[in-house]
Amino acid sequence: MTEDDIYRTSTQYRLWSFTRESLASLRSTTNASAADGVRAAIRSQHVGQAGSDPAREGSNDKPSDPAKEVDCLTVEEEQKLVGFYCVKAMQFADFCEFPTNVKATAVQYLKRFYLSNSPMTYHPKEMMAAALFLSTKTENHYTSLRSFASKLPKTTPESVVAPEFLLTQGLRFTFDVRHPHRGLEGGIMELLGLAQGKGQAGPGIKQSSEQLQKEMVDIEPAKESSKKARSADEVVRRIQVAHGKAKEVGKSSALLTDAYFLYTPSQIWLSSLFLADEPLARFYINTKIPTTSTLTPKLISTLQSCAELLRSSASANPGEAEIKALTRIDKKLFKCRNPDKVDLVGINKAQKRDSKGAGENGLDERVIKKRKLEREKSEKEAEGIFGPTLAKETN
Amino acid sequence: MAMSPVVTYDSTSNIKVTATKAKSLAVRTNSISKPQNGSTSEPGRGQELAERLNDETKQKYVKDKKLGEGTYAIVYLGHLKADPSSLLAIKKIKVNTEYRDGLSMDAIREVKYLQELSHPNIIALHAVFSSKNQNLNLVLEYLPLGDLEMLIKDSEGIRYGTAEVKAWMGMLGRAVWFCHENFVLHRDIKPNNLLIAADGEVKLADFGLARSFSDPYRPMTYQVITRWYRPPELLFGARFYSGAVDVWSMGTVFAELILRFPFVAGNTDMHQLELICNAIGTPTEENWPGVSKLEGYLKYDKAATIPVRGKDFYLSKFGTAGPVGVDLLMSMLALDPRKRCTSREMLEHKWWSSEPRPTAKEDLPKKGGGPERMGEDLKRRGGEIEDGRGDRVARKLNFGVAKS
Repeated sequence: MTEDDIYRTSTQYRLWSFTRESLASLRSTTNASAADGVRAAIRSQHVGQAGSDPAREGSNDKPSDPAKEVDCLTVEEEQKLVGFYCVKAMQFADFCEFPTNVKATAVQYLKRFYLSNSPMTYHPKEMMAAALFLSTKTENHYTSLRSFASKLPKTTPESVVAPEFLLTQGLRFTFDVRHPHRGLEGGIMELLGLAQGKGQAGPGIKQSSEQLQKEMVDIEPAKESSKKARSADEVVRRIQVAHGKAKEVGKSSALLTDAYFLYTPSQIWLSSLFLADEPLARFYINTKIPTTSTLTPKLISTLQSCAELLRSSASANPGEAEIKALTRIDKKLFKCRNPDKVDLVGINKAQKRDSKGAGENGLDERVIKKRKLEREKSEKEAEGIFGPTLAKETN
Repeated sequence: MAMSPVVTYDSTSNIKVTATKAKSLAVRTNSISKPQNGSTSEPGRGQELAERLNDETKQKYVKDKKLGEGTYAIVYLGHLKADPSSLLAIKKIKVNTEYRDGLSMDAIREVKYLQELSHPNIIALHAVFSSKNQNLNLVLEYLPLGDLEMLIKDSEGIRYGTAEVKAWMGMLGRAVWFCHENFVLHRDIKPNNLLIAADGEVKLADFGLARSFSDPYRPMTYQVITRWYRPPELLFGARFYSGAVDVWSMGTVFAELILRFPFVAGNTDMHQLELICNAIGTPTEENWPGVSKLEGYLKYDKAATIPVRGKDFYLSKFGTAGPVGVDLLMSMLALDPRKRCTSREMLEHKWWSSEPRPTAKEDLPKKGGGPERMGEDLKRRGGEIEDGRGDRVARKLNFGVAKS
């Protein structure tokens, strides 16, 4: 069983790997069905209001459909918004001093969740905390909910776990995320071994350890401006520099782009090494696969396209213009949020209550009314840039 | 009992990926991106794709009678709606009302690892779905023939020899090797977590304590693995350890299979260490360089030090395994985890190719624990065993409020 065979049994491959086309089509389907949901919810709410308050609807014979006027988010806008909250999640993870794997998994949870859900239905601000908390549990860095919630502004324990169930469902109950980070560390260890004359080439390559060590000194420099290495020690330093750069890519653009959906973990780390020091990466690949192999050009072209994607990443520190654009999207979202799904804490409670057999008709209606009041109140309060504050506990 | 269930996987959770990548991707995205337009009209309004997929999964299975109920889970016998003759176990994880931190760690670990590991000697997770009240339901392979503990204990009714032990150990070894190959530590290997399928195949179950290998410098808890099967490094409080902990557990299972009673069965952690010293030898800097630096290491009186037992000792106790088998057992029970064989080395040992050949799985002795025994085995959470033995269990994971 090869490593590839094993990877192909992973849920990351089976459920979360896509071609560019299938990824795009999935996102547009999700966007369209969420927009339908928003319109339907607004329409039914409007009908409800019209029924109870006929005075407001003076011209009853002219059925103007309020849902038609709703300007829904486009796929691009959804993407921007989710991307922004992925960055936020990373900042919170750094603030809480969570290790890289917790941070990286949380971001992938968000990205995976929003393949089948739209920010119009569930606001990423609320999902973000849930994703980060879930990832502390799945990545063995459990922090108690209370202390977790206390670290985030305007966050209650209830608001963190309320969307957890939705999140796990959106993740299709697969929690394992395969990251490129461990692979990178392994590759760097091998490179260091090669530089110290202790490395070994893959099958079918006949250079000795000493030859490989010598060749390494002769690798052309990473950039035309930088000088060639003159000794094994300088090669080691070069590897360390490349390591630092590649690691940075692994912690930022590898997470924020669609790299995890489109490429395997090993392709991602090799591509980040490619970005950091291309000649070094090529040398490394040549110690693994004979240059004459037909696999080499195929691999290189995949790595190049992945590197291209990694280079194109939106920055982890959005500039002023970006913030402006995000503010506009969030304002727009405020008008096209699915009104049925705003109060996640309430929905979560109601679901749990239903299951216990309690919460019959009377109570339900009362809760609904309460929730509606709550919603209206929070709508009034919604002057902040990113929409209303999270719903408070209703009872 | 009939054969183990033939489950028709849906394309979205197809475990045997035979198609080329492009093809399987096409199938997969089809099923995820095409909402069935007809059925989504009224009841589907406001229902998202994920919810719909969940419902589709849920619709495929039918729960039959309850097999067992514990504090952590209820286990049902079930079948595929499309095939009433199929047999499945459905494990419904209870939402713990006292645990307010969302989905519990046990449930997360079990689902996370079983979703990834598909191997003939690891219990198969066919699907996961939630019922409307947010309970998680795990659809598991049906394993009606009890577990290894039952067979070991029934020394009156069940006779077996080296060939059978070899067959069982081989299946266990392959399961553990596969876990390690996937960077997963099981951390609770013991006979009653080794369930038996209708065809005699042994399946490793209960991944409630499993975790991925730690990254370098990231400490792990040492409060894992049921005491009798726990290696000395964990008893000494090691926070950095490897697959060697599972190999030790396998070694104790191996010994137990031969002895037909637990090899080192301590009543407390201290007692456990004492028994290990007596049975195997006292861990010292000489036989285990660095051991004295472990937090929980006990200074042993030089005079009271028991030298590491030689091959003769093992031959006298485990002679039925033959000299080659004893050699394997000794390397699995090496005190120093660095000298212990890895799960891979275990499978490469010459014992497997020497006489006698392992018994074919269909000829292995069967006891027929029946569905109820599976219910008993599955309802436990990771590391839990039946009442009365609870005090011997590694259950004190440091999750704060996680454990009630």
